Order: sequence, then C-alpha cells, then structure tokens
Amino acid sequence: MLGYIIRRILAVIPVMAIVAVFVFLLLRLTPGDPAAILAGDMATPEQLARIRESLGLTDPIHIQFINWVGRLLQGDLGTSLISNTPVMSMIGSRIWPTLQVGTLTIIISVLIAVPMGVIAAWRHRSWIDYAVMSFSVLGFSVPVFVIGYILIKIFSIELRWLPVQGYASPSDGIGAFFSRALLPCLTLATIYVALIARMTRASLLEVLGEDYVRTARAKGVKEKYVLFRHALRNAAVPIMTIIGTGFALLISGVVVTESVFNIPGIGRLTVDAILARDYPVIQAMILLTSAIYVFVNLLIDISYTFIDPRIRY
Amino acid sequence: MRFKNRRFDDADRVLNIRDLSVSLSGGHQRPILDKVNVTIHQGETVCLVGESGSGKSVTSLAVMGLLTKDALTVTGGVIDLEGQNLLELDHKAMRQMRARRISMIFQEPMTALNPVMQVGAQIEEVLDSHTKLPPREKKKRVVDIMNQVHLPDVERIYNSYPHQLSGGQRQRIMIAMALILEPKLLIADEPTTALDVTTQNQVLALITELQEKHGTAVLFITHDMGVVAEIADTVYVMKDGQIIEHAPVETLLRHPTEEYTRRLLQAVPSLIPRPARERNGAVEVLDVEGLRKVYGIRRLFSRAKPTLAAQDVSFSIIRGRTLGIVGESGSGKSTVARCIMRLIDPTEGEIRVASTDIARLSRRELRPHRRHIQIVFQDPFRSLNPRWTIGQSLIEGQLNYGTSRSEAIKRSGELLELVGLPADALKRYPHQFSGGQRQRIAIARAIAMRPDVLVADEAVSALDVSVQAQVLQLLDELQEKLGIAILFITHDLRVAAQICDEVVVMQHGRIVEHDTAANVLMHPQHDYTRALIEAAPGRHWDFANFKELEPA
Repeated sequence: MLGYIIRRILAVIPVMAIVAVFVFLLLRLTPGDPAAILAGDMATPEQLARIRESLGLTDPIHIQFINWVGRLLQGDLGTSLISNTPVMSMIGSRIWPTLQVGTLTIIISVLIAVPMGVIAAWRHRSWIDYAVMSFSVLGFSVPVFVIGYILIKIFSIELRWLPVQGYASPSDGIGAFFSRALLPCLTLATIYVALIARMTRASLLEVLGEDYVRTARAKGVKEKYVLFRHALRNAAVPIMTIIGTGFALLISGVVVTESVFNIPGIGRLTVDAILARDYPVIQAMILLTSAIYVFVNLLIDISYTFIDPRIRY
Repeated sequence: MRFKNRRFDDADRVLNIRDLSVSLSGGHQRPILDKVNVTIHQGETVCLVGESGSGKSVTSLAVMGLLTKDALTVTGGVIDLEGQNLLELDHKAMRQMRARRISMIFQEPMTALNPVMQVGAQIEEVLDSHTKLPPREKKKRVVDIMNQVHLPDVERIYNSYPHQLSGGQRQRIMIAMALILEPKLLIADEPTTALDVTTQNQVLALITELQEKHGTAVLFITHDMGVVAEIADTVYVMKDGQIIEHAPVETLLRHPTEEYTRRLLQAVPSLIPRPARERNGAVEVLDVEGLRKVYGIRRLFSRAKPTLAAQDVSFSIIRGRTLGIVGESGSGKSTVARCIMRLIDPTEGEIRVASTDIARLSRRELRPHRRHIQIVFQDPFRSLNPRWTIGQSLIEGQLNYGTSRSEAIKRSGELLELVGLPADALKRYPHQFSGGQRQRIAIARAIAMRPDVLVADEAVSALDVSVQAQVLQLLDELQEKLGIAILFITHDLRVAAQICDEVVVMQHGRIVEHDTAANVLMHPQHDYTRALIEAAPGRHWDFANFKELEPA
C-alpha cells in the first residue's frame, strides 16, 4: 500500500508542472505586450519600461520561466498590480473563509445525503424512494442563487432567525460563525445533497443485489448492519469519488455564493482580480484551484485503498 | 458403487414442507412452486435435483424466508421446522431463526463473502447477531469452528480478506459461518458447483463429517447426478415447480419411475470415451509450439512476482478432429485458449494457424488471419450484446471481412437453421432465448466466418445436462459437415470423454499428459490425471443405464 501511495504522490509532480507551464504562458502568449496589458491604456512609456523590468520581461523566455518557477517554489506568487501587496498574503487571508464554508457544506451534504440514498435504495420503488429522487431532480435544476435568495427570504427576512449576509471567523465565537455560515452552506449543499444521494442510491442498489448481502441476511444479521456495515462500505468507492470531486468543485466554484452572501473568500478575490485584470492574482488563483483539485483527487485515490482491500494498483 | 443406504423412519423430522406454493408477486401466471412436499429427518441428506428454473433455489430461499419480497410471494402451504410453522413468524423471529436453527451456504464462494471484511470478523458477526458472548469467548468459538472445517493456519486466515483465500478455503469459511451455532438444518445450494473436482470432494467430505458429528439435517441442492450418487440419502426430483418423484438414492438411480427422471439420468455424460474419429487427411490446421505466457507487472515501488501461466505448451490439431484441454482452475487452460485467439499476447512460442505463425503479428497484420480461428465462450448470457438483435451479432464478423450486407443476412439465416433455430430468430434479441439457444447462436456466430479452428472455452459448462447433451451433439454434427477442428477447453472429464479425440491434461501451466481420449481416461499415466479421475463424483455408476459401470 505504501508503494502505491508514494507512486500516487509522485504522479502529482508532472500534473502540477504542466499546470505551471500553462499558467506561465497565459500571460506571455496573450497577444500584445504583457507590460502594456498590465499597465492599461493610460500608461506612459516610463511606466511600461518599469513594469517590463519588474516582470523580468527583458530576459529570454526560458530564463523568465526558470526565474518564475524558482520564485514560485519559494512561495512567491508575485505582487498584486492593484493593491501592491504580495499575492501570497492576499490568498492567505482569503482562503480560510472559503475552506470553512466548503468543509461545512460537504459535511452537511454527506450527513443528509448518504442516509437519504441508503433509505431510498433499501425501500426501492416506495414513496420514500420517489420522494428522494424528486428532491434530487429539484436540487439539480434550481440555480444556486435562487435557492440562496429563497433561504434568505425565509430565514433572515421573514423568520429573522439568521443574519442576511456576512462572515464571522470561528475565532470570533462559534455561535457567530455558524449563524452566518449556515445559510450559505445550506444553499451550496442542495446540489451536493442531490448528487450524493443519487449516487449513494444507485451504488447501493447495485450492491444490495450481491450475494454477500444475501449471505449477511442468511446469517440473521440485523437489517441496519446489513445496510450500513455490509452494503454501504462496498458501495463507498463511487460515493467517495463524488464527495471528493464535489469538494474540489465547491472550493473553485464559490464565486456566486460568496457574492450572494458577501463572504470575503477566494471566490470574491477571483472576481475582483478578473474585473481589475490583476494578472498575478489570476495566475495564482489558477495555480491554487488546480492544486486543490489534484490534492483532493490524490486523497480520494488513497482513500480507495482503505475502503477496499482488493485495490492495489 | 456404494450408496448411503441408511434409514430414517425412526429419526425426528426436522423439516416438513407441505403443499408449499410460491407465485410471482401480483402475477396470475402459473405458480413458481406448485404444492411442494419435502421431509427431512435428523442426520439425513436430502438432495433436491432438477434443471435450472425448476424451482430448487426458490424452495430453499422460501425456507430461509429470503425470497425477494417484491418479486415472489408464498401463496400457500406450511414450512414446519420442528413443529413451528416458519411462514407464520414475523420479521424479527424469522431473523433469529437464521444461523441458529437453519443455515445456508451458497454456490459462489467468490461472491458470497463480503470482499471488504476480514473473514474472521464475518464468522464472528453470526455470534454478534445471536449471542451475547464476551469478546474472548467469541474469538475462541470462531477459531474452534475454523479448526473444525480444517482450515490451515487459522490465525492468519482469521485476519485475511476473501480475495486472499482459495475457492475451497472460502467455501470452508461459509460452512464455518453456517455451522458455528449448530443449526438443526443446513441448506446447501449447489455448494460445490463452482469448485474444482478435487476441492469439491474435500468439501463434500467435510459437510458429511460435520453432519455426522452434529446430527444436522442437510437439504442439498444440485444439478450434478454424480454428487447425488455420492452423498444423498433421499433424492427429490423437481420439474417446473413440482416434485415429480422422490425415493432413496439407490432406488432412484436403479429404478426411476418417471420418464423425466429417466431422461435426466440418461443425459449425464458417460466417463467412457467415445471412439476416436478416423485420422483422414491429416492437414494440421493449428500447431502450437513451445507456448509460454508470463503475467507480472514490474513497476517502480512494486515488486509483483511474475506468474507463470503457461510453459512449454505444444500440440497440434488436424482437420475434423477435437482436442480437449482439461485441468482445474489455474492450470493455464484458458490462458492457452486466449493466447491462441491472440486475445492476450503470448510471451514466447509459435502459434501456426493455416501455416502462418500468428504469435507475433501486430493487431493489423493479424486481422486477415482472425477469421481462421473463432471462439465460443462459457457464459451465453454475457457473450451476446444484449442491445443487438441476433442478426446484427451474426453479420458483424462477415461484414468486417467484406461480405455484402444482403449476402451476410442470407447466410445468417442459413446458419441459424444449421444450429437448429428458426430463421426468424434474426430479428429477436438475446434475452428472448434460453441459455442453450444462446449458446447455439454463439456457435453460429463463430462458424459464420468459416473458420478452420473453433475454440470452445468451457462452452457447455453453464448449461443443464440435457441442453449440454444437445449442444455437444450439435458440435459433433457441425464437425462432420464442415470438417472443422475443435479445441475444447473444459474442467469436466465427462464432457471431455464425450467430445474429444485427443486429450491434453494441464497442471500448473504445463502439459502433464497428452494422448488419445481413450488412453488418458481409461489408462492414465500421470498421478495428477489419476487424481482428477478418482475425484470425479459418481464415477463407478453408469447413470444412463441405471446400473454399476462394468469394469473395463
């Protein structure tokens, strides 16, 4: 198993290298002078020269790449053209709200969706099954922002249970954090509940037809153990895949929710950077989201070997 | 042949099924089980025999209360276990019956155990579900039953996962699980069908041993008359959901009263080989020389040991004759077949088909040669594309080799008639046919290419004996008509005896014996061949003639 994990970790290197090349070329291959793009329409020739110098654009392109990667490896992602602060510290201050909201969302989704899917599969073709499936279709088809505004309308404006918008760090008090994070997390969770419940149901339906489930029943095992101990673990690999991919999508796709709920996370950072053409920040965001994807996929692959002892690549 | 001639008139009745009827839920068709009556006494082995679809498994699952709820319903009758009608028990009471009073073991030890749970824990789960023993006591009981089923190295196996064990070991785990609480009744649904003959013998002996030790009543479901002859006290014959005949085993095998039982017994292939065909012409159509196949991936950070699947395999077949490769699972017989088909690439050796060596041709170079050699697989339910009509499946190969569409369709119709199916079958889909019919279709597809060699990889192993006999007959006729050579791969010596002119015996990837079928089966030279023949159940009985085999 250790060999497999090491091989998987090593396989991350070429993937990240390709991403790095792409991100580097993004700026260099854009038509026109990168310095001119960066500086905008109103720049003077002196400003242009200074930008060129500061970006190292006077060197040959491969030297530029090596220098850029060298800085990258030291954690230097460049400096924002707008705020003039290091990109690294900008991300550092913005990533926590995003991660907190993302993690809470996935936890809520799993806690709701997995039991839903299991029960739907267990009571296949009953009203519970149809209810779960209908909810699932609904969860897929209603846009996130609509759900967000509906929840705000109900819980904040009508019932006045939760604040409309904003963010509080857990260090400001757990209660304050949860009361503000709950609505965005529930909003985000709808689609993942739909997705995970569907996957759990489908995967479990297949497993419930297996011989070893019949064996478990023939042993006189209680039905809840048949479902959760025997069936669910065998059905877990596709469910884990969906959860992992969902989490990665969530982190990179928080743009809408963070705008709706006014959360100072990387989603809003990205939107602001794109609107302002703040290239170093955009580059850093692409690198970061790719790294999150790769890392989450790595974790999923490794989790397979713990779920299923037969998996040895 | 020595039968178990024991009498059970005085023994306690353990199970008494009276007029049990089962129907499809909500359906008004004919019942799946129609007034079934079965009685089993303490210590008795009752064999329930019949062909697929006769209702054997439904009977056993009804006793276990494990019928698929939304598919099958009990519509009448009584299942009486020691005076208690199981059909009247509620969900919870029935659950408590299982493993404590009645247990069941299944056909496929590969799939009947949970693949992600250690086997020790799976046995222990029986105790968790029905007792409140302290952990130390539980472990002791599990280790004790694992010793009773003669598992080696119990400590290691306790912590193993199913995939780390052999088929025989897995079936022992199943038996341990079924018997740990010493139930009154053990239901065994084809428990040895998926096992090799030598393993089958051991498992049958184990069931008998534990049965005698604990006085268990056994309901043994099988389609294999050889097994019946070895282990049964009483035999019940099922057909279309009804028990049509039951009798003590010797009476049934000597004097079957029902016509159906007679036909069933007559279809059991004899172990006496049929006479070999004339060697006329002697054109070699397939010649395999020094074939070797090694599996094993070497990669960074992994030290997978290469597996030698086949080594020094050489043989040839001439037109119009059949060569059988027999051996147990893992002997390399299927590897050889797949190498010859170039479905996998041989590591070394020559494979000459119509005097061209195809062992090392590239995919593209191979294409024109593929038509000379065609294959029929074991499982007719999975080897035809379920979304294609039979016609589409039959013309595909011909179109690939340049036959025009109309001509291919015309020939497909002829082929279907040749294999004994109506020509209008072309427009139908695989699920509309029985297993035997599908296997005929698979054969038609293979011979559509007018091959020189037909490879049959366990092609009749999934079929009932009566259907098996018909398909073997069909292969025989096709061989007469078309002069095709057949490479027949099987684990079943009885089938080999009926179809092969020559037999190759394989063990651990090597050929240990190669001679005419008559010599191999009647005068085996190698110890392994002898062991295989001795393990064949019911080998002293001539089923088709209802008497002992005359010593040759």
